[in-house]
Amino acid sequence: MSTGTTTDADVTRAEASDAELTELRTAVRDFLSSKADEAAVRAAVGSERGYDDKVWAQIAAELGLPALALPTAYGGDGYGLVELSVVIGEMGRVLLPSPFFSTVVLAATAIVASGDAGAAERLLPGIAAGATTATFTVPNRAGSWEPDAGTLGVHVNGSGAEVVLEGTAPLVVEGGTADVALIVADSPAGPTLYEVDMTTAGVSRTTLRGLDLTRRIARVDFRDVPARLVGEPGGAAPVVARVLDVATTALAAEQVGGARACLETATAYAKERMQFGRPIGSFQAVKHKCADMLTRVQVADAAANEAARAVDGVPASPDPGVAAAVAHAVCSEAFMAVAAENIQVHGGIGFTWEHSAHLYYRRAKASQLLFGGPAVYYERLLHRAGVGPLRTA
Amino acid sequence: MPSEPDDSGMDQFVAEARAFLDANATRRAHTSDEVVWGEGEDRITYFSTDPPEVEAAKVAAAKAWQKVRYSNGFGWITGPSEFGGRGLSSLHDLVYDGLETEYDVPDTAVLSLIGLGMIGPTILAHGSEELKRRYLPAMYAGDIIACQLFSEPGAGSDLAGVTTRAVRDGDGWLLSGQKVWTSVAHHAAIGLALCRTDPDKPKHKGITAFVVDMSAPGVDIRPLQQMTGGAEFNEVFLTDVRVPDDHRLGPVDGGWGVALTTLMNERASVGGEGAGPAARAVALPFLTELLRANGRLDDAAARRRLAELYADQAATEYLNHQALRRYRAGQQPGPEASVSKLMYAQNLTRGAHLAAEIVGPRLVADTGEWGTFAWTELLLATPALRILGGTEEIMKNILAERVLGLPKEPSIDTKSPFRELRRSGRAEA
Repeated sequence: MSTGTTTDADVTRAEASDAELTELRTAVRDFLSSKADEAAVRAAVGSERGYDDKVWAQIAAELGLPALALPTAYGGDGYGLVELSVVIGEMGRVLLPSPFFSTVVLAATAIVASGDAGAAERLLPGIAAGATTATFTVPNRAGSWEPDAGTLGVHVNGSGAEVVLEGTAPLVVEGGTADVALIVADSPAGPTLYEVDMTTAGVSRTTLRGLDLTRRIARVDFRDVPARLVGEPGGAAPVVARVLDVATTALAAEQVGGARACLETATAYAKERMQFGRPIGSFQAVKHKCADMLTRVQVADAAANEAARAVDGVPASPDPGVAAAVAHAVCSEAFMAVAAENIQVHGGIGFTWEHSAHLYYRRAKASQLLFGGPAVYYERLLHRAGVGPLRTA
Repeated sequence: MPSEPDDSGMDQFVAEARAFLDANATRRAHTSDEVVWGEGEDRITYFSTDPPEVEAAKVAAAKAWQKVRYSNGFGWITGPSEFGGRGLSSLHDLVYDGLETEYDVPDTAVLSLIGLGMIGPTILAHGSEELKRRYLPAMYAGDIIACQLFSEPGAGSDLAGVTTRAVRDGDGWLLSGQKVWTSVAHHAAIGLALCRTDPDKPKHKGITAFVVDMSAPGVDIRPLQQMTGGAEFNEVFLTDVRVPDDHRLGPVDGGWGVALTTLMNERASVGGEGAGPAARAVALPFLTELLRANGRLDDAAARRRLAELYADQAATEYLNHQALRRYRAGQQPGPEASVSKLMYAQNLTRGAHLAAEIVGPRLVADTGEWGTFAWTELLLATPALRILGGTEEIMKNILAERVLGLPKEPSIDTKSPFRELRRSGRAEA
């Protein structure tokens, strides 16, 4: 119904000062330390939805975080990735189970990037208020997020505004609980973005057993499900490209938060654990592990920050596609390495179910693979940096 | 907005610097990083490999350019005015450096890396008025070069283990011992020497620092040939070298504090984005052309190594940008410089070995083909990058102890008299 367009360039991005960023970080950290300590996270993991509904409601109502980086025209505060990264970094630090990433990062970015003002009016105010949870998926059968025709597990039947979706989206982030899903489906015009009410008859969702206990993944089957066109027919490719830049940048901040938590836990343990009559952190073998972890965290943090600035279009920052791809690769590798070394520094206790180390290890590996994994992200980096594609004989 | 330090007058400073550079130097013609394979200098190197006459000409050009800077108020931007400095902030210094990179000017590292960057600030902090007047203006005017006589065969990472002796001799001192890894000693007029003055005190408490005239009798400078074949460093033998007491820096037996000033001023010279011919080894456009020229651009394994290296190198550059932004916003420097040094050394090493794999057997012997055997220079230089300016192991100790607060190893060498300690190259007691 609405073909009006809205792009990021239409609105001037609000910008927080360094002091305001610190204030934001402190507010989110204080909130999470009282509402999402390890016991609370474990309780949420064991709950039916996989996250604490009350905490999600408070994140919206008391802190207003879902609105932070949404356009002001649709109930948002108009900030960007620089600010959102602070919030996501804190959430990553405690492994907060939450629909925040799927709703605010994946779905809202897809809606804004589609340029579809009708979809934005319909969906963004609810997302900003925390009343709507959503997700976005590219149901590539190989799990790669490439919106290539013929590789998608979902296709449309019918044409124009009256279409229905058929097929299976194999790995949908928080797909078991989201109210709304944005889905890239094969259509006669090529891969196209659609909006689906997930409570509609014909949608069947199965929450899958997951590696990462703190972020749920579901398979969603569509049988004759009415769907609304978002953006232009055949127009999914640039939307997916934008979502990948934004989402990998946000994920990088989340990975840095998790990696920093692992570094701090390992360092604290190395100071207090006594063996051979001295703290194990005084042995260079352990000390150098910790220094290596610090090095990785520092570099990853810089990469995530630079990517956020680049994607926000801050002057004198690098190309956003390149910076996002760099951050995705470096932060994925860093979090994985640091989460693994955290267990080694702890020794046997780090291998127990009761210890938090495995929760980070699980998140680290799952987030590294979420958008395709190393084989995909290194090729994407070369592509974004202008090196031609790999041609296979 | 972030709190900016006092930048009043910065615009005027920039205008003045720009006018000076326009009048005295030529702006670089090309800023494009487009690579034309097979064209240009066929050298990928970290250390200088110039023959002596070329090296001498470069030193002369460096001194001449430093003189021009100094006469125009840009030779010592942060220095106090009574010794010829400009009395401005480090930010002004940084801004000037940034402007100068846009111009083709002689490389002054031979003066600045050790002398102006490390020895100058140490003399300024610990020297007598007489010593400061005598040496600082001459150094910053490009008239004399200073070197650092710190490391010894038996005192590398453990610098406080120096055994070069200084003994009283009337109103002066006699210095005897051997220093090593002394960059630019063969061009230097003065050197800052750490000497053992009291071996009966614990190691850190019996050291004294002196400014040594490198042309004094008893100073013997011998080039130290490295594994690359070149001789970037020197061994300096001191045999009863007489140093007047007014050339002592800091109190007798108080030399460790002087050394710490020098080490704190040691810029992360290996970090940074790396200009010069070594930068190609971590530059994506150059490495991409290397793969293309050797028919490996569609080799998935080679692409993967290229992408991994590029990701880490780009992130290292982002880290440097962030450090600069924070510095400009008036924040305390974090561990970025140490991290950057570790990363840059590793990245260059990986670049050299990636290239070696791509070039293959043509790296083994010089076939004359452009862009092949040239990589041997960097390949042979990279082990040093993980040693100089603090070995990787020492850097990691520093990061772990100072940044993460991990406990030091229990020390067995800081309390007892120095002469009782076990040391390399000495018969056991």
